[in-house]
Amino acid sequence: MSWWRRLLKRQEMERHLDAELRFHFEGLVDDNLRAGMSVAEARRSARLQFGGIEQVKEECRDSRGTRWLETLFQDILFALRTLRKNPGFTLAAVVALALGIGANTAIFSVVNAVLLKPLTYPDPDRIIQFMLKLPTGITPGASVTKFNVWREQTRVFEDVSGYYVGPGLNLTGDSRPEQLRGMYVTANYFQLFGAPIVEGRAFTADEDRPNRGHFVVLSYGLWQRRFGGDPQVVGKALALSGDPYTIVGVMGPGFSTDPVPAPDVWIPCQFEPNSTDQAHFFLAAARLRPGITLDMAKAQMEIAADQFRHLFPGVLGIFGPQDGFTVEPLRDALVGEVRSSLLVLSGAVGLVLLIACANVANLLLLRAAGRKREIAIRASMGAGRGRIIRQLLTESVVLSIGGGAAGLALGILGVRALLAVNPGNIPRIGEHGSAITADWRVLGFAILLSVATGVLFGVIPAFQASRSDLGETLKEGGGRTGTGTGQNKARSLLVVSEVALALILLIGSALLIRTFYALQNVDPGFDRRNVLTMGMSFSGSPFKKTSQVSQLIHNAVQRVDALPGVLDSGLTSNLPFSGPGHSGLPFTIVGRPLANGSSLGRVGYVTVSAGYFDVFRIPLQRGRVFIDRDDDGAPPVAIINQAMARTFWLKGDPLADRIVIGQGYGPEFADSARQIVGVVGDIRDEALNRNPQPIIYVPMAQLPDGITALMARINPVAWVVRTRVEPHSLRSAIETELRQASGGLPVGSVRSMDEIEGQSTARQDFSMLLMTIFGSSALLLAAIGIYGLMAYSVQQRTQEIGIRLALGAEPGTVRNMILLQGMRLALAGVAIGIAAASGLTRLLASFLFGVQPRDPLVFLAVPILLTAVALLACYVPARRATRINPLEALRWE
Amino acid sequence: MTQAKSDLPQGTLDLLILQVVMLGPIHGYAIAQRIQQISRDILQVQQGSLYPALHRLENRGLLAAEWKGTETGRQAKFYSLTAKGQVQLKTETESWKQLAKAVRLILESSEADAV
Repeated sequence: MSWWRRLLKRQEMERHLDAELRFHFEGLVDDNLRAGMSVAEARRSARLQFGGIEQVKEECRDSRGTRWLETLFQDILFALRTLRKNPGFTLAAVVALALGIGANTAIFSVVNAVLLKPLTYPDPDRIIQFMLKLPTGITPGASVTKFNVWREQTRVFEDVSGYYVGPGLNLTGDSRPEQLRGMYVTANYFQLFGAPIVEGRAFTADEDRPNRGHFVVLSYGLWQRRFGGDPQVVGKALALSGDPYTIVGVMGPGFSTDPVPAPDVWIPCQFEPNSTDQAHFFLAAARLRPGITLDMAKAQMEIAADQFRHLFPGVLGIFGPQDGFTVEPLRDALVGEVRSSLLVLSGAVGLVLLIACANVANLLLLRAAGRKREIAIRASMGAGRGRIIRQLLTESVVLSIGGGAAGLALGILGVRALLAVNPGNIPRIGEHGSAITADWRVLGFAILLSVATGVLFGVIPAFQASRSDLGETLKEGGGRTGTGTGQNKARSLLVVSEVALALILLIGSALLIRTFYALQNVDPGFDRRNVLTMGMSFSGSPFKKTSQVSQLIHNAVQRVDALPGVLDSGLTSNLPFSGPGHSGLPFTIVGRPLANGSSLGRVGYVTVSAGYFDVFRIPLQRGRVFIDRDDDGAPPVAIINQAMARTFWLKGDPLADRIVIGQGYGPEFADSARQIVGVVGDIRDEALNRNPQPIIYVPMAQLPDGITALMARINPVAWVVRTRVEPHSLRSAIETELRQASGGLPVGSVRSMDEIEGQSTARQDFSMLLMTIFGSSALLLAAIGIYGLMAYSVQQRTQEIGIRLALGAEPGTVRNMILLQGMRLALAGVAIGIAAASGLTRLLASFLFGVQPRDPLVFLAVPILLTAVALLACYVPARRATRINPLEALRWE
Repeated sequence: MTQAKSDLPQGTLDLLILQVVMLGPIHGYAIAQRIQQISRDILQVQQGSLYPALHRLENRGLLAAEWKGTETGRQAKFYSLTAKGQVQLKTETESWKQLAKAVRLILESSEADAV
C-alpha cells in the first residue's frame, strides 16, 4: 500500500488495528477461562499480560512509516486552532511577515525576470554578443569592417548576425503618416534568434547583399494594424521613406531582440563585404558552434583582433595594440550594470526581512511566556522536548506561510504597480514590467523563504519555551511567568539587532537620497527647461546631401521661429541624455606631431545647426558660435568644449589651430581641416553623473556629403525648440511646420527635455525609491520592536514599580529608569549599526554621486533620527510606568 | 520463564515470525502461542513487540494480511508469507545459521582455552 493510501485510509486502519488487538486480548481471556479462572479474574489477568494497549497501538502506528505526516497534520491543525484563538498576535505577525516576505518576493520577481529567466531564444546559453575591449572598458558594438572579420571565424561561431535600430522609416501614403521603428538585420539573424515567421519567409542571404533592392519583414502588430492581418500582403510592395519595399514575410507576435521596444519592420542590413566603414553603429551576436566553450571563443577573438589589425593598419590610432575583441554570453551583455543594483537591492530587502523576523520572534517569545504552563503540562504528560519544539516550530511555519501567501500577492502587485509608474530602464522586464510574473521560480522562492523564515524566527522561542523547568513552572502562580532572565536576554538581543539592521538600511537609503538631490542640483551646463525635442529620420529621404540638409534647416528654422511662443530652434545629431554617449571619432591638430598612432585620440563628435547653442543656452567662452553662413560655401569651422580645450591645449590657443577629424575611418569620413572658431562651456549631456568629455561640434550645413549620407542611414536627428510657454502646448504647431518644411517627413518621439532627463535618471530614482521604502519599513519595525519590549517589561514590573512608588520614588525617577533600560538597548544597536554600515556602504559607492560612502552628515543624522524614534518608542511605556497606582499594583495577583 | 522481549537480538523476532507464518495463514495471537510452544516456553513474545513487528513486515511487503473468520466464528487478521517474504526468510535463515555457527565456534574455543 502506498504511503498516501495508508494516510487516506487512516480511520479504517485504526479500526483494524483496534480489532486485531482486541482479538488477541479475547484470546488471552479465553485461555484464562479455559485454565479455570472466573470471568473477572480472566480479564484482569489478560489485561496484565497484555500491557498498555495504547502504547502497542502507538508503536504499530510508528511502524507504518507515515507517522511524521500524521503528526504534521495534527500539529498544523493544532497550530491553526491556537492562532485563531489569538487573533491580535496572529494579525500582527502575519502583517509583519507579509511585508518582509512580500518585499523580498517583489525584488526577487525582478531579479528572476532580469537575471535568472533564460532568454526566449532557442538554446539561449550558446548565444554570445561580440564586445570591444577598449581602454575605457568592455562595451558591445560593431563596425562593418570588424563584423566582416568576425563573420570569418567560422570554426567557433555560426549565424554571426548584426542588428541595429535604424533612424526610423517614414510610412506615408494612404492615411496618417507614421514613423516606423525599423530594425536592420543580417539574413541569419532570424536563424540565430529562432524568429517565428508566420507568413511568407525571412530574408535570403542574397537579399542581404548590397544593391539587391528593398525588402521588409512586417511585425505582427503592424500587419494587424495596417493590413488587418491579410496573408495576401506577402509579395506586395510597401512604400517606406519614399522607396518601395517588397514584403517577404510577417513575424510572429511577441518576438523581439534588444534594443527594445520591438520594431515595426525588419530590413536587411545589406553590408558591403569590402567596406572600409569604421563607424560603430550596430550590435553583433552569434551562436557558439557545438563543442566550443566560451573560453575557446574568447581565445579565437584574440586571433581575430590580430587579423583585423593586419587588415586595417591605417586605423591603429583607433584600434591600437591594447584594444581587442571578446565575447560575452548574450544574457550577461544585456543585463550589464543592472545586475549590481539588483544585488544591492536584494541585500537591502533581505535585511528588512531579518528585522521582521526579529520582530515576530519577539512576539513569539512574549507569547511563549504566557504559554509556559500549557507547555509544562504537555511535557508532564510525556511529550518529549523534541516533540514540543516541533509543535512550536510548526506553529511559526504556519504563521510564516500565511504571511508568505499574503506577501506573494502583495509583492507581485506592488512591483508591477511600481514599475508601471517608473519602469526604471531595466532591461528584460517587458512593457511596463509585464514580463514580471509569478512563475514557478518566484513561487518556489516565496515558499522556501516562508518556511526558512518560520524556522528562523521560531527556533529561538521554541528552544526557550521547551527548556522550562517543569516543577518550577507548575508550582509558580498562573499569571506571573516569563520573567526569566534567559528570555529577557534573548528579547533584548533581538531588539539590539533590529536597531542595528534598521540603522544600516537607513544609512543606505539616506546616501541614495543625498545622491538623488545631488543629481537634482547638479548644473548640467545647459538650460533644459522649456525645450521640446522631436526626432526625424532622413533615411530614404531626399536629404542625403549636405546642401539639401542645409536648405531644410534654413526653411524649418525660419518657419518654427516665426511661431508665437518659440524663442529659438535648431537641429542636432545627439540629444543630451539619450543614448550611450557620442560616436567618438579620431582627430589630429594640424602641425602638431603625433606621439604614437595616427591620431591624438578619440573625442565626441556632435553635428548641430547654428541655433543649437542658443536653444540650450550653452555659454560661449571664447570666439563665436556657428552662424547661418557656416555652410559648404564657407571655410570649414568647428567649435570645441572646455574639456577639449583643457585636455589638448595645455599651452597654446585653440582658436589658432585647425583640426582634422575622422582620418583613417574610411572615405565616408574624409574631411578637410577645420578652423576652431569658438570654445563653449561643458555640458553633462551623457548623464548627470558623468563628467563632461571632450567634444567637437561641427555645423550640419558644412558636413562632408559622405558623413551626411552615412548619418541619414544610421542616425536619426532631433529638432530642438526653446519655447516661452509649456513646450508640449506648441507640439502640433511645430510638427506642422516641420512637416511642411521637409516635404512631408513625419516626426517621432516628441518629448520635452525634462522628460528625457527624467527617463535618463529613472533607474537611479527607482533604486532610491525602493531603498527609501525599505528604510522606512525598517525604522517602523524597529520602533515597534522596542515599544513592544518596553511595554511588556513595564507590565512585568508592575508590582516592583508599584512598590517603588509606594516607598516614595519620584515618578520622574521611575520614568528615567524605564527609559534608560530601553535606550541602553537602542544605543547598543545604533553603535553596532554604525560599525557595520561604515563597512557596508562601500558596496553602494558606484551608485552614489556627490556624496561619499561614509558621508559624515548621513552617519550623524541617521543615528540621531533612529535614537529619537527609539526614545519615543520607550517614552510611551515609561510614562505608563509612572501612572501605575501603587495600591492596585500591590493587589495585582 | 524467560522474558524474551529484550533478550532477542535485533531482527530475530522478524525471523521467527516469518518462520511461523511460512506454515500457513495465521493470526497474531496464534503466532505468539506458536512461538511460545515451539520454543518450549523459553521465548515469550510480548504483544508490544509482536504487533509493531507484524505491521512493519506487512509494510515491507514480506507478509500479506487478510481478514477471515476463525473456527470460533470471530473475525481475525490472518498473515501469510509473500514471495518476497519467502526469499527473505531463506536468506535470513542462512545468515542466522552462519552467525550461530560462528558464535558457537568462538564460545567453544574460548572454553577450551580456559581449561
